[in-house]
Amino acid sequence: MTQTTRGRPRIGAIARKVAGHVVRGLVMIWVVATISFFIIREIPGNPVLGQYESLIQKGMSPDQAERATAVLYGFLPTGSLWQQYLGYMGSLLHLDLGRSLSTPGVEVTTLIGSAARWTVLPVLAGTLLSFLLGVTMGVYAAIKRSGKLGDMLALSGSLLHGVPVYVIGLLLTAIFATLWPILPSGGPVDVEFTPGLNPGYVGSLLQHAVLPVVTYTLASYGGWILAMKSNVVAVLGDDFILAAELRGMTRGIVFRYLARNAILPLFTILALSIGMLFGGSIFIEEIFNYPGLGLLLVNSISSRDYALMGGTFLVITIGIVVANIVADLLYTVIDPRVRSGGAA
Amino acid sequence: MTSTTHAPGVRIRDLTVVYRTPAGELPAVRGVDLELVPGTITGVVGESGSGKSTLALSLLNAVQPPGRIAAGAVEIDGLGDVLTLGGEDLRRTRGRQVGYVFQAAQNSLNPLKTIGKQLLDLGRSHDVADPRALVRDAKVLLARMGLDGGRVLDSYQHELSGGMRQRVGIMLALVLNAKVVVLDEPTTALDMITQATILRIIREVHEERELTTLVITHDVGAIAEVADGLAVMYGGRIVEHGPVRKVLATPRHPYTQGLIRAIPRLSGDISLARALPGRPPTLGTLPAQGCVFRERCERRLAVCDTDDPVVITRNGRSVACHAVERAAAVAMRKEYA
Amino acid sequence: MTVIINPEGVADPKASPAGTRATLRRNFWRGVWRVLRRKPSRMAGVAIIAVFVLMGIVGPLLYPANLPRDDNALYAPPSLAHPLGTDFEGTDVLALIVTGARYVLLTGFATAVITVTVGTAIGLFAGFRRGRWDTLLMRITDVNLAIPGLPLLLVLSTVWKFTGPLQMGLVLGLLGWGGIARAVRSQTLSLRERGFIEAARGLGLPTTHIIGRELLPGMAPYIAMNMLIAVTGAVYAQVGLFFLGVLPFESNNWGVMLNLAVFNGGALTTPAALPYLLAPLMAILLLTLGIVLIVDAMDEIFNPRLREE
Repeated sequence: MTQTTRGRPRIGAIARKVAGHVVRGLVMIWVVATISFFIIREIPGNPVLGQYESLIQKGMSPDQAERATAVLYGFLPTGSLWQQYLGYMGSLLHLDLGRSLSTPGVEVTTLIGSAARWTVLPVLAGTLLSFLLGVTMGVYAAIKRSGKLGDMLALSGSLLHGVPVYVIGLLLTAIFATLWPILPSGGPVDVEFTPGLNPGYVGSLLQHAVLPVVTYTLASYGGWILAMKSNVVAVLGDDFILAAELRGMTRGIVFRYLARNAILPLFTILALSIGMLFGGSIFIEEIFNYPGLGLLLVNSISSRDYALMGGTFLVITIGIVVANIVADLLYTVIDPRVRSGGAA
Repeated sequence: MTSTTHAPGVRIRDLTVVYRTPAGELPAVRGVDLELVPGTITGVVGESGSGKSTLALSLLNAVQPPGRIAAGAVEIDGLGDVLTLGGEDLRRTRGRQVGYVFQAAQNSLNPLKTIGKQLLDLGRSHDVADPRALVRDAKVLLARMGLDGGRVLDSYQHELSGGMRQRVGIMLALVLNAKVVVLDEPTTALDMITQATILRIIREVHEERELTTLVITHDVGAIAEVADGLAVMYGGRIVEHGPVRKVLATPRHPYTQGLIRAIPRLSGDISLARALPGRPPTLGTLPAQGCVFRERCERRLAVCDTDDPVVITRNGRSVACHAVERAAAVAMRKEYA
Repeated sequence: MTVIINPEGVADPKASPAGTRATLRRNFWRGVWRVLRRKPSRMAGVAIIAVFVLMGIVGPLLYPANLPRDDNALYAPPSLAHPLGTDFEGTDVLALIVTGARYVLLTGFATAVITVTVGTAIGLFAGFRRGRWDTLLMRITDVNLAIPGLPLLLVLSTVWKFTGPLQMGLVLGLLGWGGIARAVRSQTLSLRERGFIEAARGLGLPTTHIIGRELLPGMAPYIAMNMLIAVTGAVYAQVGLFFLGVLPFESNNWGVMLNLAVFNGGALTTPAALPYLLAPLMAILLLTLGIVLIVDAMDEIFNPRLREE
């Protein structure tokens, strides 16, 4: 190693990193698309062929029926496996995920687009809230780790982290919607209000968002407090904290050194978890009847709308792939050790 | 800036530091008396576990839990007993009056901030009115140690080599004009050339700035090059203390003798170097009474099992050993006979 | 600090190898006991898990194959006869919980065994062989880790009807080995870095010995902990799938109870079905609590650094 490697980000290294991630991400998406394709094709009763045949029975010419089915699923109902596969991948390249069967005629991308709104906002709110809460309490739990309070905090963190999200959601609903009905539990908004920026509508939106957001928050809070606690404990054992104290640095500065070093690794997990929650929101949306991506996926399965199912699954995966790339880039930007390309 | 132009003296008296363990509180440092003469470099050598690092931390009243200073005093001229200080007074003393330099291999710098920013944090902590002057002082110090100050201040820790980090550590310990400096294993984990450079720098800066310096190390060779006085620690006690040349030339305590025998010489037969038999004691295996070294001692007497040897000081040299004491008494009797 | 505290009861290095191993084992169990005793909550964890395991083994034997129904007591509140109330058919909820435990726990156990076996094998192989095999296996692991598990399970449920707890465990296990594989690989690599494997090779020890006697024992605690966590993960996933209603209800199961309580019983709108809903939730909570407490104890047993002085 040279004596000093300067702290300038090496553009070349970063570009290569991004390129690597993009390639890996594309492979990922390809794998998932392939899985979707085969599942749709292999579903017992072959829905694609079934659709084709039922259209013919309704009096369509085989040609028309073939085209109509292709519009639905993105590939021709007849032809070899290979032809179908290429057709499916071809339409994916045109960002065509087919059309929905349960909402006839509507493009899958449109449905996903409108569902994504209902997922993104609560997920974002819940994740950020739990992050702030978990990180703060994590520091506290680390500092008080040998006392009763620290024990309690860590145990509650482990429990919340360990318990599945639907248990939290169902318990909250049971308490705040059934036993002691102060909050609405179903749907994103009351139907009696006209959509728009009027106080009634917005108020109802917020009211309906409380339980889902609180569930998101509690479900991911446990992970944050545990991670932050163990990071703080690790950094507390680092020499530079003692060194800063022995140099007479003020408590405030020592605390900032501690907090910044402990929180740094969490930012990448934050990016990852935002990506993950697109898929993890399934239970919450099912419990609260919130029309997001998760509910869309479950409903598409129960209504045998397989093009919609494949498309939603693909979009959820893309969210994770993108989050992976963002997380890695974020780390490169915020950690000087990674930034200059040297080993930490 | 403080106005102490003369190097202060440091007197450690009857210092006992205990560690809380499942087996109760065990002493890591027991009844240590040590005087750092103003303007001198005192070296403390000992194996790991001898309590030397604990002793060093006591100088800043910074023994870490589960350790606790149970008794004693550390008096520094112009400051009083450091062990009675607490809170803000203690914090201001650290860094400003007493500088502490960590081992180079330890990461004593915040990895996420440049050296310059950490220097400014140091200045802010000690209410330095003129940050620019502080940076200037730092650059002068770094230049004195052969570094490009501007460049170093712009660097992160991971961009510096071990020797450079060590010089940065020395700079941070001295930049606020501390007159008492503690160096904990300053040359450990450095290559031979860098070791020599760091030792030279310690010596030179010590003289230029009129410091009182304490160097903690397990490397007798390093101490021989840099120190004026030498204290040998074993099992939490100082077993021998005196001028460095005399102690090294005519070691009196059996442990010191063994330690020096264990050093291989460049000139001479390597087979003459003999390692001390046995292992250094740990907190748990430390005998509760009697001499701490007796298990490995070749001059063990019956009294060693029961009585702690008392430190006997003669002609500026002190030794705590029953065998040495008895031999001296016999010699004395012969003289008068 | 360089204060070394000799942990009491470290084996005497001069003792014979067999004796050392026996001593170590005895000391290990003594250490386990000490760690458990220090916090009563940990004993509680062990007790909770013991109860659940017992429930899984003998639970179905305690009740008739077809649980009795009582048309006069639909959604009855908790009483002496029905400590946790009854369901929509008047069946005792406690009986449902107890008999449903076997399915849930069996899946969990099967999943854990498969996860650990596949993950450890792949991790060891990749770390041991390095080179091209390593790269390939780790790419596959990356994909395994990155594909969103629950959505994939949902999608898979359209083609694969998970019939029976063991098949379910197989699917869950094959989806969940990535984490262990990666961790075991990095452990293997770090042992390798310390010259462990080369030294053993130099001594002429066969590969099976190196893996079985040198590598695995060091990783066993980690693997054991992951196994416990895999059990909980599998329990949650399967109960969740039944709750979502994407799997056919073939037998009594906590997830089926949740689904029926929420979507048929309207437990989220009327309090009548609440006990029916809360019972499986509490069962899951208790199971989690038990596992969390045990993992906490294991953590301390295997990471002496965490032992508070």
